[in-house]
Amino acid sequence: MWHHNYNTGPPTPVRPLALQSLDHSQLYQRRVLHLDQNERSEDLDLSPTTGDYEDLSENDWTSDQYSNSSANWTPSPQSKPDRLPPRNVAPSSRAASSNANAIMQNSVSLPLHASNDVVGVTGNMSLGNMFCSRCGDGFEPHEKIVNSNGELWHTQCFVCAQCFRPFPDGTFYEFEGRKYCEHDFHVLFAPCCGKCGEFVIGRVIKAMNANWHPRCFRCEDCSKELADLGFIRNQGRALCHECNAQAKAVGLGKYICHKCHGVIDDKPLRFRGEVYHPYHFNCASCKVELNSDAREVKSRPGFTSNEMNELYCLRCHDKMGIPICGACRRPIEERVVTALGKHWHVEHFVCAKCEKPFLGHRHYEKKGLAYCETHYHQLFGNLCFVCNQVIAGDVFTALNKAWCVHHFACSVCDQKMNQKTKFYECDLKPVCKKCYEKYPAELRRRLRKTHEATPKKAAV
Amino acid sequence: MNQAPVSCIPNAKMSKAKKVLDEARASGNPELDLMEKGISSFEEMPGLLNMAHITRLTLSHNKIVDIPPGLANLVNLEILTLFNNYIEELPVSLSSMPKLRILNLGMNRLNALPRGFGAFPVLEVLDLTYNNLNEESFPANFFILETLRALYLGDNDFEFIPSEIGQLKNLQILVLRDNDLIEIPKEIGDLTRLRELHIQGNRLTVLPPEIGQLDLIGNKSVLKMDYNPWVAPIADQLQVGISHVIDYIRSETYRYLFSRHVSVRGPPPPKYIDKTNKLSRIRRNI
Repeated sequence: MWHHNYNTGPPTPVRPLALQSLDHSQLYQRRVLHLDQNERSEDLDLSPTTGDYEDLSENDWTSDQYSNSSANWTPSPQSKPDRLPPRNVAPSSRAASSNANAIMQNSVSLPLHASNDVVGVTGNMSLGNMFCSRCGDGFEPHEKIVNSNGELWHTQCFVCAQCFRPFPDGTFYEFEGRKYCEHDFHVLFAPCCGKCGEFVIGRVIKAMNANWHPRCFRCEDCSKELADLGFIRNQGRALCHECNAQAKAVGLGKYICHKCHGVIDDKPLRFRGEVYHPYHFNCASCKVELNSDAREVKSRPGFTSNEMNELYCLRCHDKMGIPICGACRRPIEERVVTALGKHWHVEHFVCAKCEKPFLGHRHYEKKGLAYCETHYHQLFGNLCFVCNQVIAGDVFTALNKAWCVHHFACSVCDQKMNQKTKFYECDLKPVCKKCYEKYPAELRRRLRKTHEATPKKAAV
Repeated sequence: MNQAPVSCIPNAKMSKAKKVLDEARASGNPELDLMEKGISSFEEMPGLLNMAHITRLTLSHNKIVDIPPGLANLVNLEILTLFNNYIEELPVSLSSMPKLRILNLGMNRLNALPRGFGAFPVLEVLDLTYNNLNEESFPANFFILETLRALYLGDNDFEFIPSEIGQLKNLQILVLRDNDLIEIPKEIGDLTRLRELHIQGNRLTVLPPEIGQLDLIGNKSVLKMDYNPWVAPIADQLQVGISHVIDYIRSETYRYLFSRHVSVRGPPPPKYIDKTNKLSRIRRNI
């Protein structure tokens, strides 16, 4: 785009010199006319391109927002000349040495070239005044002469200063007074892109201590092109403004509003999986501007994912009758367990002892608390003394213990007893009459003594 | 299987136990009742040790002296009752019984427990009432019986209880009635699930303040502590009621009294239960 190869007529300022000899040549005149037309048409083509240059050089890269970054494009006094020179300046002069310097240093863009100029054939003109710019010799009559920017060359002298070969397609690049073919100019002077490693022709982005194609210089987070947006250096990374703000907010432990991309200083509002400033939203019911207390009512049965979610202010939310979990105090949007006079998330309705959720299993209530089967019986004593299992059917309670009906037996002979069986107590264990009578007399005496003492005490 | 092996044991004696065994084999009943059969040896119960399917074996009120190590072959046994026999020693193999949950060795003549006795994998209730055990009788690993929920040591000769008692985390019932206890270790306060504590009929004068950590005065709890030579403040509270004793033990006043009492401890009170007539001693006295 930048290096159009176009043939231009002889440069105006030097025209008198050259024209004096060529003026009379009809061929030359025709050509000049032709080239002038070419030039004019290309003028139109070029104008947008020219605009690009201006964009770059006129952007205020030092405005406050970039000042925190050392890698900003800083304007240089030399960058102004990087604009396309006025059209009436010969193309070759655009690549004048000073320009090329500026280009390299300020990394605006590469110059172009000039191009092959006029190859004229000297007639019987004042050959005596004309000398080749390279070898200094004169020209033979009828010899082809190259005229570029008012300078004249032998065709064999009009070659690349590096490789001494003619310029392909007549395109050359001039630097410090020397002309180079495109290839050698790039090899010698063009910067390499920090990303793709290719030569950068045209607009050069100089940033982060390297050169880049505009297309190659992108935000390291979101890959947005940064050439025209500007960038901010954040811990050695080039980021766009949004990504930089986000990175900064994360560093501060804050959220970035998904809508305005500003940092959320107060509590964020979560909605459909993103965080926002609460004031971007209004209550779906009363339309009041929301604060962070607002509640997201998640998709009801029949709706999928987040699509149907709505936001309500706390007041309206409470009026909607959505149950609140007795454990976590958050609304219950899925299955509700109702127990102990409260509502619960299924996973929050747990045993007061082991804190495992009941998940639909039977629970036991005691003094306003719920227990799983095991812990209810463990804590409140309805495990059978013999089998140590929860007593399923009728409970036989005696001696501070409980038994499954079929496990109630004499602790000495293991013979089953029923409610009517008369039994004695020893160490709060049941002993059938038959076994008790087998106890040694001295033990029975002691037991009797204690037994007689106990009720007397209880009566006191 | 149906024909009992030839034995030199008198037939009449044999038949009683053998009849029960035959019936049990015929019916497949896994619970075996052999109490009061006059059995003095396992040899009188031919084939019993091969009945690996039985879950309960009750041999109360017999005259058994020796327990054969082969008893441990009954791998499905959950309840073993040997109450009121003449057992003086237990086989080491007993503690390897994989399913034994309730072991009743009350009213025997045990002077010690075999080494490794704490190895029972699932023992829940251990009744050693009315034997001749004391603090020396416990093997080293006894208190690793973490599954134990009831331990009956009434009518024995303990003067001290090893402090390792605190390791029995699941203990709900501890009976130390009618021993010679001089003190209770403070580790009893670690038995957080203890709901029944019998320490009546000992030589206790004070209780460790740590006992106040336990819930022993709830309506599901029992604390029996009569017949001890308690220090006057405890004795006074006991007159009013157990809950007053616990309240007092939990007070700072008592904490102070206890520390002073421990530092200037006098000689232990005399034994005042005459045990010479204990059935468990009879053999020795004869």
